Amino acid sequence: MAGPMIFDQKVKTDKKRITIDPVTRLEGHGKIDIFLDEKGDCKNAYWQVPELRGFERFCIGRHVGELPVLTNRLCGVCPAAHHLASARALDAVFSAEPTPTAHKLRELFYMGQYVHSHIAHFYALAAPDFVLGPAAPANKRNILGVVEAVGVPIGAEVIKHRHYGQKVQEIIGGRATHPVFGIPGGVSKPITEEERAEMETMAKSCVEFGKFTLKLFNDVVLANKDYMGLITNGKSFYQETNYMGLVDENDKINFYRGKVKVVSPDGKELAKFEPKDYLKYIAEHVEPWTYMKMPIFKPIGWKGLVDGAASGIYRVGPLGRLNVAKGFTTPLAQAAYENMVKTVRSLGVTGPVHHTLAYHWARVIELQYAAEKMLELASDKTITSTDVRGKIGEPKEGVGIVEAPRGTLIHHYKSDKDGICTGINMVVATTNNNAAIAHEIKKNAMALIKDGMVSPGLLNIIEMGFRCYDPCNSCGTHILPDGSRALEVRILDSDGNVKQTLKNF
Amino acid sequence: MKKNRALLLGIGNPLLTDDGIGIAVARELAKRRLPGIDIEEATASGIEVMEMMLDYEKVVVVDAIMMPDREPGEIMRLEEKDFSHTVHGSSPHGVNISTAIALGRQTSPERMPKEIVFIAMQAEDVSTFGERQTKKVARKMPELVDAVVREMQ
Repeated sequence: MAGPMIFDQKVKTDKKRITIDPVTRLEGHGKIDIFLDEKGDCKNAYWQVPELRGFERFCIGRHVGELPVLTNRLCGVCPAAHHLASARALDAVFSAEPTPTAHKLRELFYMGQYVHSHIAHFYALAAPDFVLGPAAPANKRNILGVVEAVGVPIGAEVIKHRHYGQKVQEIIGGRATHPVFGIPGGVSKPITEEERAEMETMAKSCVEFGKFTLKLFNDVVLANKDYMGLITNGKSFYQETNYMGLVDENDKINFYRGKVKVVSPDGKELAKFEPKDYLKYIAEHVEPWTYMKMPIFKPIGWKGLVDGAASGIYRVGPLGRLNVAKGFTTPLAQAAYENMVKTVRSLGVTGPVHHTLAYHWARVIELQYAAEKMLELASDKTITSTDVRGKIGEPKEGVGIVEAPRGTLIHHYKSDKDGICTGINMVVATTNNNAAIAHEIKKNAMALIKDGMVSPGLLNIIEMGFRCYDPCNSCGTHILPDGSRALEVRILDSDGNVKQTLKNF
Repeated sequence: MKKNRALLLGIGNPLLTDDGIGIAVARELAKRRLPGIDIEEATASGIEVMEMMLDYEKVVVVDAIMMPDREPGEIMRLEEKDFSHTVHGSSPHGVNISTAIALGRQTSPERMPKEIVFIAMQAEDVSTFGERQTKKVARKMPELVDAVVREMQ
């Protein structure tokens, strides 16, 4: 296949404002405005999410038992993550400890979600940038172009294994997309031996596909010096932030349960806390130009849209998880993690990996882990036990936290004595990354646009910045603080003047 | 389960007011037990929807649509070629329905339906959380059901 097209010809522009709207390959509607100064250098850039959905208000007054099937309708991308975060929150609301089998079934189901989600992101969203290159024609820069380049048999394998991830979720969760199995203290139904055996067979195949994907990433991205230059140059696609993610008792990555760990830009542990204590560590900052809140590490606080140890901005998701943890509990993923650490150490990186494009690298390692963990759980013959529900107590308040494929996901519910929801707060993965995404785009635009020289490929490179985070804006803008609030978006010029007002609803 | 030759696929989010049109039609037709037709509903798009279409000869998709200069409740019949560009309908990580169908024809051409038809109704509100359709749309729902039945025959 032909090599990727990384840079194309730049064209001089006399425009003072460049708008990419809507951005491509991103769930929900996003908007980027880039402001140029008189010289044509990028002076400022805004990442805006002009949608507001009001989901939390919709849940008040419902029975909390409904929340796992209501909150998973926030969008079609990560319903499994919302469903499980919700089930974990209900475990806490009802003081219910799931049985060992229930935990295993939930985690096996969740590995299906990760396999499906990470395959979709890497092959459909990230691969167009890597296999074809950011400067390839826009109509080729999609999954069809990728399949054309790598060959139809590989394309068919991608579809097959993505489907296996969906199938595992369907078998355990009752539905592939919007599951219905999570209940307080467990799951609604056990699985049969035939179902276990079917999942074991699919998991074996997924482990092999994980190996293939790691090799493909190695051959196409890591072996390409132009891409490695983009990944490791330390100017664009680079932020020295704090990181957050769930870890188990040995500090290994766990997607389903554990404590939330936060590390500083130099890798020092800043906090490790139980889900119920999240409000001591996370505060939600609001900027006037976007509906999506900007959560920050509370002990440091909001210091503006800046990175560094003095800033409270943190990042979550695949790279965030790898930066807080000491690797994985499965052998192939652990080997891939150690290889990544060795490679970045050889480049002089001493602490966490701050290179944003390494999110893709972390994601393909996590795909390998999810497949291995899927096989481990599906091979466990005790998983067919019918003891799938723990005892539940009186409803009160509870918090559930899981790692969604795109980062830490928090559900916090308050219930009255009858189980009616009186309060709900959700901090979703894309919201956790919101400040970092906004900063990323601004920083990349400033590094890459000089003297008014702009090309379509260059703008796509800026978009590559946020695509690393696999953002989901429809999940990220679900808060309606006041039903009477005007639904508008302000467009500001480089001096902060409002140039235009958009109404989106 | 042995599949019938044709599939009726209702798409939408039943919690987003008029976006639930496709699901409502699927549920209505499920009650009528039409011979030779499978009925499915999906709150999804992209590759997942394409996978649901595999091994059928004909698929009729029912969904809400937002077109400029159309009245809420207006019914449209569209074919694959009409979907070369769409902003929404790009749910599972941004692969829209036309890309997903093209991907199916690229990777599993022998399993894709010969004919894919979209019956769409102009929606008035697809962003407010609610489980009922708006009045203008709700009034036209029987016509939409009839149009889908005619298409399936």
